[in-house]
Amino acid sequence: MANAPETPLLDAEHVAFVESGVSILAASRAVDDAPSVARSHGCRVSADRRKVTIFVARGQAGTLLDDVSRCGALAVVFSYPPTHRTIQLKSENARVRPPAPGETDHVAAYIEAFTSGVSPFGYEPRQMATLFAFTEGDLVAIDFVPESAFVQTPGPKAGAPMPPPAP
Amino acid sequence: MSSVLSVDDIRACMDGAIPAAVATCAPDGTPNVSLVSQVFYVDGAHVALSYQFFNKTRQNVLSTLRATALAIDPQTIARYRLALDYVRTEVDGPLFERMKAHLAGIASHTGMAGVFKLQGADVYRVRAIDPVPCVTLPEPAGRRNLLAAVRGVAQRVGGSTDLAHLFDETLFALEANLGIRHAMLLMADPPRERVYTVATRGYATSGVGSEIAFGAGVIGVAARERTPIRIMHATNEWGYGRAIRASAADDGFSDVIAKEIPLPGLPDSRSQLAVPLIAGDALVGVLFVEDVADRRFGYDDEDALLAIAGLLGPAIRGLQACADDADDAPGQRPRQPSVLGPPLKLRHYVADDSIFVGDDYLIKGVAGAILWKLVGDYARAGRTDFTNRELRLDPQIRLPDLFDNLEARLILLQRRLAERSDAVRIEKTGRGRFRLCVHRPMELQEISAGARQSGG
Repeated sequence: MANAPETPLLDAEHVAFVESGVSILAASRAVDDAPSVARSHGCRVSADRRKVTIFVARGQAGTLLDDVSRCGALAVVFSYPPTHRTIQLKSENARVRPPAPGETDHVAAYIEAFTSGVSPFGYEPRQMATLFAFTEGDLVAIDFVPESAFVQTPGPKAGAPMPPPAP
Repeated sequence: MSSVLSVDDIRACMDGAIPAAVATCAPDGTPNVSLVSQVFYVDGAHVALSYQFFNKTRQNVLSTLRATALAIDPQTIARYRLALDYVRTEVDGPLFERMKAHLAGIASHTGMAGVFKLQGADVYRVRAIDPVPCVTLPEPAGRRNLLAAVRGVAQRVGGSTDLAHLFDETLFALEANLGIRHAMLLMADPPRERVYTVATRGYATSGVGSEIAFGAGVIGVAARERTPIRIMHATNEWGYGRAIRASAADDGFSDVIAKEIPLPGLPDSRSQLAVPLIAGDALVGVLFVEDVADRRFGYDDEDALLAIAGLLGPAIRGLQACADDADDAPGQRPRQPSVLGPPLKLRHYVADDSIFVGDDYLIKGVAGAILWKLVGDYARAGRTDFTNRELRLDPQIRLPDLFDNLEARLILLQRRLAERSDAVRIEKTGRGRFRLCVHRPMELQEISAGARQSGG
């Protein structure tokens, strides 16, 4: 398992990006190394920028939550459709937990931000409401400390490690 | 027992509207997830992902041969997980070209033109498709019943008794049954690796006689690869208007004189679909449709057009084959038209059989050679009645040996004359027979192959 870096991989601007209305998808691995994948319902980052939390609807997550609970491996991609700006965070220490009070509000704000971000591209609010529909008891949180971060904006430099944040 | 989904059941997910997610694992198990602009339908058991950059997803797949994709139906928002096993990468050929065209549309639509560039089509076998348990929207109401529409078109295609009628009926039926208002039919000229327009519908000018080189634009690639090419968003990369200008320049004539008939087309076309017409193992032509709306033609429309193409190719071939069988019934007695007015100047350039009426370009190639023979026989001997068979035997016309498309070329010539000159016409007088109708005196001038052409 990789160790968490001493300084956070994310700077304030990265935090603003991953907490905004970006598309968020998460992956893990099964026992046989089969990849699992699910859409996330938003993200928030701790005040010290070390811990990242994403939210997932259990009913739609397939085997992802079982896989994360078992092995802790997680990859999360954040992409803003209008600009295609994309970053990916990886960790081997992810943990699944029930959401804390107030986190559901954070999810609602995320869905609203995502919906308004893609509406100029012809996606209707009712389509996005369907995409993110979940029952309240269905929501779970995944905490992780990113151990590596990559730029994935489409182009020849996609996949390069993300430059370290300015001190 | 639950039913097993095939790729055919979830094709709506694969028109690139909402990016799909693709998860992979490195050989050490580290997961990776990326968004892909295209999960492309290959067949009921296979999909292809676009390989644009050698990124982590691709490294992982080449090592582990497996991936999991999460795809969304853009209408119903239904989601599916696809367990994928990598099979191969194609770097040219029909699948590659279909994906390349599709991707070009997506790139333009999403502001990524010049960034998205297809390097290869990575083909995967779909091991399993699992629907994600989630809320969905109902299917959009009011969808056209495409099977009934194809049936309507098929009846018209099957009921056509001559080639010109078949061309026009087909385009009429596309509008009447499928609501396709802008369409063109092009015939293949394999020795010259070109297709030429014989009938169009829904354009300001007919463009009959315009040509496209194999491989140029949506139509040219459909002809060269014999595969349907479909784009769902306006794209400059595949603008066929530009393609035909480029092919004109390649001829080396563009600096001297314009000898290209402009291809008709919607200036604000956003959806385009070209399907090859094939009979046996021969390319007969291309059927092209377009629309000003984004995403007008989906996979189902492509199926419908391919089904129609499957009838049209052999129908064209069949009607061409019997077009020469001149019936013995005498044609109507010619009504001698009055030949009055100033002489009509026709120039023939031997080098490419191009013909100019006055200073205006009319036609070139085989159709030009045919017209020159007709007006020559008329000038020398006053002949007005001709048969397909004698044209085929005439060494001056240089028809290709196989599949000469003589009847289609006569239709093209007839239509081009009708558009460009009111003094010379061609009329069908029976199967395999036609008549040259001349209303003004003619002055013929032949320019030998060595002579430099001028814009006059």
